[in-house]
Amino acid sequence: MNIHEYQAKQIFKAHGVPVPDGGPVTDEREARDLLKEIGPDVVVKAQVHAGGRGKGRVVKRDRAGRVYAELIADPEKSEGQIVGRRRGGVRLASGVEEALKEFRPMMDKDSRLVSVQTGADGVPISAVLIEQQSSIAHEYYFSVQVDGANGQPLIIASAEGGQSIEEVNRTNPRAVLRVPVDPVEGFPAFRGRSLASRLGIPTSAIRAAGDMFANLYRVFIDMDASLVEVNPFVLTSEGTVLAIDGKVGVDDNAAFRHGGYEEWRDRSQENPVEIEAEEANIGSYIKLDGNIGCVVNGAGLAMATMDTLMLHGGEPANFLDIGTVNRKDRVVEALRIIVNDPDVKTIFINIFGGLARVDIVAEGVVDAVNELKITQPLVVRLNGSNVEEGRRVLHDSGIAVQTADELGDAAALAVEAAQSGRRRSRSDG
Amino acid sequence: MSILLNNRTRLLIQGLGNEGQNQIRRSLDYGTTVVAGVHPGFRGGDTFNHGSHEFPVYPTVVEAVSKTRANCSIIYVPAPGAADAILENIAAEVPLIVCITEGVPVHDMIRVRTALEGSKSRLIGPNCPGIIQPASQCRVGIHPPDVFMPGNVGVVSRSGTLVYEAVDQLTRAGIGQSTCVGVGGDPIIGEQQQAILRRFQSDPDTDAVVLIGEIGGLAEQAAAAYIKRSMTKPVVAFIAGATAPPGRRMGHAGAIIEGEAGTAEAKIKALEEAGAVISRSPAEIGSTMRRVLEEAGKYQPPGAVEQA
Repeated sequence: MNIHEYQAKQIFKAHGVPVPDGGPVTDEREARDLLKEIGPDVVVKAQVHAGGRGKGRVVKRDRAGRVYAELIADPEKSEGQIVGRRRGGVRLASGVEEALKEFRPMMDKDSRLVSVQTGADGVPISAVLIEQQSSIAHEYYFSVQVDGANGQPLIIASAEGGQSIEEVNRTNPRAVLRVPVDPVEGFPAFRGRSLASRLGIPTSAIRAAGDMFANLYRVFIDMDASLVEVNPFVLTSEGTVLAIDGKVGVDDNAAFRHGGYEEWRDRSQENPVEIEAEEANIGSYIKLDGNIGCVVNGAGLAMATMDTLMLHGGEPANFLDIGTVNRKDRVVEALRIIVNDPDVKTIFINIFGGLARVDIVAEGVVDAVNELKITQPLVVRLNGSNVEEGRRVLHDSGIAVQTADELGDAAALAVEAAQSGRRRSRSDG
Repeated sequence: MSILLNNRTRLLIQGLGNEGQNQIRRSLDYGTTVVAGVHPGFRGGDTFNHGSHEFPVYPTVVEAVSKTRANCSIIYVPAPGAADAILENIAAEVPLIVCITEGVPVHDMIRVRTALEGSKSRLIGPNCPGIIQPASQCRVGIHPPDVFMPGNVGVVSRSGTLVYEAVDQLTRAGIGQSTCVGVGGDPIIGEQQQAILRRFQSDPDTDAVVLIGEIGGLAEQAAAAYIKRSMTKPVVAFIAGATAPPGRRMGHAGAIIEGEAGTAEAKIKALEEAGAVISRSPAEIGSTMRRVLEEAGKYQPPGAVEQA
């Protein structure tokens, strides 16, 4: 799960990481009060979870689709600006009135931020972060993340900050420093100072930079983060260091010891159907563009099912890993979400039971067909634990369903059903 | 006998909740030797019974190991306590630890990996289906036993359900399995694909290997480098997620596309260049392996491998 920049900066501040003066606002009076306090020169930043914000565009909802198409087709000509006519997600302003002119369209209920990463609908803007502008002498990059292969934290830093680190890595890999962290030692300030020195930070700022790195590492540990990224942190012309951006991703698996991260979560940034799937506790759901609704157990098999459908010329409407299903009502809930998706023309259920028992899945499918009055063609492939009972349950129920034992055959049936529409819905495989 | 397990494997089960109990019953039915349970405050008293099978239940791993000489642990402990359970097994010097649990926090796994350094233990998982060896009837995991058959092909996979899928295809194609290992789908795991390939390469009971990877991470590239450098046995590979939209998370925490290297195409290319035979479709893993074995003169009809 990602959190907002303003939240990341509140956490930074509480950990002793210097951030610009300012804060999040959602209405004009708050904005005006804050601007009087920190003005006149400010940065106005839309708070969204999506990446590509600065080069994205703040637009009315009804223009989102068109602007998204333009951004994809010709980014150079249509990307958002920090000053100028095309409003991006990050804007510079001078004085209260000018700043409010940037604030209003961002906080308008009808506005969306559209970037190359948001899709054609864009995302709503949850708040606006207004901060003092900083006098920047140099921009740097810093991040801590988990290096899976080595099983330890990895710090990445660069003196070429303020741009995509992937791009720096492509064009000038020697400018990207990688510092593996010994998890027992952690990242004490002296290691931070040594990194600051390697980055060429001037002697007078090395102590402050070393402390900042050590404190960012503490954020990583305290938050159970998968990523803490500051791009850029800057050396100001006064010679201090300052985190002027901040990104924190937390590990959903650690939510149990952080009160579910409820304090940091913003559901308005998430896909409503994905939230519904989570609340129904039916595993991991991701909406996609096709028309074959998929219910699969296991992330690997779910991806492989999508791969097989596409190799047969079909398009999945979603990714859904229902995990280990040992209760039939969860199958019904999963199918409710699939059936309510207007894009779904065919439903493909592919369950290979290990921990999951496929006879229970079969009972859930029968319940769902009766309860939800499913009209779309249904293709079911069952295998694994208790498969004979599962097939018997389906057969004895008399519901309209096509079945196949093997993945390839089942996928072919699903694609054929999706392409020929509802006419085949009563045929039995 | 093949890798990791054999007919001298003495299994300890940690976590005798409902699911742990269900699974250990199926392992006992399959023929696996289970010598001890560990479950502090176990409601069933100090023994676990299933039909004619019975094993003692202890509050700690160290006690279970000293009394029963268990040499392999299977962990079904829920996520908040899973890392603690792994650490307990490392401290008790259990040689092989298999952790099934899904949802272990990644920071906990950093501690586990640190503890594994220089220890006497090897870890498989977490978030994995475990290991199964049909010839010695040894099931250390959550597999549906019926689809497995003894034979000469090893299977290694990040995904659990794709182990079952691949094995089902192999069995239907008349190909048995030596050992099947699910290494797990999380960002930090114990042994990775490359380490398992090395074990298969030096195993006289394995003639070829199915390698199943997925998008995200660099583990398949490491596996490809090993295949190129040292592997003489044929490898058939499938990478799941070729059609996944970039940047979206697909359930496995490890399956995030990181730049170019995490894509299915990059992994397929690395494996192809290393000499692996790629099955583009997940539905053709079995038929591809059958062809590869026949070309190598290593195809053994079912029944050719004796039960241990």
